[in-house]
Amino acid sequence: MDNFLFLILSLRWQDIVDIGLVSYILLRFYVLFRGTNAFRVLIGMTILWFLQQVAVSMGLVVTSWVVQGVVALGAFIIIVVFRNEIRNVLLARNLRSILWEFSSKTVITAIETIVLSVHEMAQDKCGALIVLPGKEDLEEVVQGGIPWKGAISKEMILSIFWPDNPVHDGAAIIQGDQINQVAAILPLSRRDDLPSYYGTRHRAALGLAEATDALVIVVSEERGDIVVARDSQLKTVKQKRRLGQILQEHMGVAVKKGRESRKEKLAFIAAALFSVIFTTGVWFSVSRGVDTLVTLQVPLEYTKRDLAMEIVETSVNTVNLELEGSGALIKSIRPDQVQVRLDLSKSKAGPNTFTITRKTISLPPGVVLKGVTPSVVDVELDVLIERELPVQIDWVGRLPDHFILEEATVEPKMVAIIGGKRMLEKMLTLYTEKVPLNNLEVEGVITANVALNPASLKIASGSDEKVTIRYLTRLRNQ
Amino acid sequence: MKYPPLWLLILTLGLLLMFPLTAGSQSGNPIALVQAVLCEDILEFVPQNRTTVFSIERRTAFCFTAFDPVPQKAIIYHHWFHRDTPSARIKLTLKPPRWSTYSSIQLRVEDIGPWRVEITDDQGNIFHILRFSVTE
Repeated sequence: MDNFLFLILSLRWQDIVDIGLVSYILLRFYVLFRGTNAFRVLIGMTILWFLQQVAVSMGLVVTSWVVQGVVALGAFIIIVVFRNEIRNVLLARNLRSILWEFSSKTVITAIETIVLSVHEMAQDKCGALIVLPGKEDLEEVVQGGIPWKGAISKEMILSIFWPDNPVHDGAAIIQGDQINQVAAILPLSRRDDLPSYYGTRHRAALGLAEATDALVIVVSEERGDIVVARDSQLKTVKQKRRLGQILQEHMGVAVKKGRESRKEKLAFIAAALFSVIFTTGVWFSVSRGVDTLVTLQVPLEYTKRDLAMEIVETSVNTVNLELEGSGALIKSIRPDQVQVRLDLSKSKAGPNTFTITRKTISLPPGVVLKGVTPSVVDVELDVLIERELPVQIDWVGRLPDHFILEEATVEPKMVAIIGGKRMLEKMLTLYTEKVPLNNLEVEGVITANVALNPASLKIASGSDEKVTIRYLTRLRNQ
Repeated sequence: MKYPPLWLLILTLGLLLMFPLTAGSQSGNPIALVQAVLCEDILEFVPQNRTTVFSIERRTAFCFTAFDPVPQKAIIYHHWFHRDTPSARIKLTLKPPRWSTYSSIQLRVEDIGPWRVEITDDQGNIFHILRFSVTE
């Protein structure tokens, strides 16, 4: 209980925003994709992922591998198999409705237009066939069709189904507030229990309703009645209000009343709660899990150093940090996320001692510091000075046995360098880099660089890093 | 007879008291180094095979110094440094009127690297610095 309280109290505002955002994204997925096959498969995948976690925690190695493989494959399956369904969901809505809307005024306006148009056509006994797709793709079921891409209006619908219009015999497919296609050919139902007064229009409407989740409105040319085909059923609708309700229900517009509306609200609240609980659970398991302890060797970084001083010596260059956190977080740590910085702004020339505390260490969120080794670092600083020192050649190798190097001079004899005062006061000589004897001729001139050791030394401006060596060899007297 | 002013006498006396000290110190150390060489051997006080690089196979490195004049018995030192680390401090006696003397070190594998020999008087004043290398 104490641990739980500690976890809750240790939440930062960023963590709450984190959980809130991911929960909302999950909820939006639910709102956009509910009722689709892709959503059902997604739920199945989530259950499989949960099972995999259980299998891992129970040590069922092979099971967890198999489930992991299925989940990985499932992600591809959802994208490839349900690509049209996903596309339809996204294309049918504008950015606002994708991000936060739960109902749309345009849909309501479109529904009203359709209801008025259908009612007028029924009164005039003008035959019509209107398809309102659900969440399933119609591309493979509907044939023919002429692209229309026109904004919906009563006049437009009436003109499409006007008997003299060449496209009046087919179906008009309406998506959102657009008439997408006209003269579309629908699959015919093969049912033999239909009443004899139902013609081809009714059979086509039922055929599509059997094959998909689309809603089809039929206006009978002979009797002027309105029939709605949905979920393999044909239903005669006499009232405008009822037709409007059916259409709203089909398009997911939240104007339902009574038990159905309450049921949907409850489902929505349950989905929202599930999103928050699921995200919180995942968040805690990822960011607050403490199942992994790791030791990282991290280089020390020194900041705010007085430019007139330099670091001469440090007791250590790296420290070992013992970090605890969930396996996923620990594995995803990048080197640049873990830093140990020592502030040198208050340090003096000479030896300084720093204690490494939690404040000097930056860690990614969710990772807990358990220990630092060593926790104390000695840093020796020195004031920078310039000093001129004699240069000596550092010969290596050997001359042929009968030769001796009688004379070797260096130009310039002195080179000015910049370095820590305490260090330079102890230095008496600068040496060149190793100069090989093996390649020398009888006499000659060569150049060599001054070896700067330690590397913190710098050649002062006005001095050259290169020196010229003049040498003379001669035969040895035996 | 007119006597010089008192302040002039005091000044003259002061100068006389000061000058013998500096002159004495100059005349007390008039020894001069006329030759300082590194060599592989010394035969009858003559340096042989003057060089600035010694192979450890040669086993010994010599530092030969000659002073002229040497007005009185004096002490000098040969300070041998491997890099900047003192390795040997050899005390040598000079006798009038002129004197040559030398010191040497034995070369070992761990001596490979740059060396120098500082030739100083007993006060630590440097007459000369010789630089050389010991190689394999």
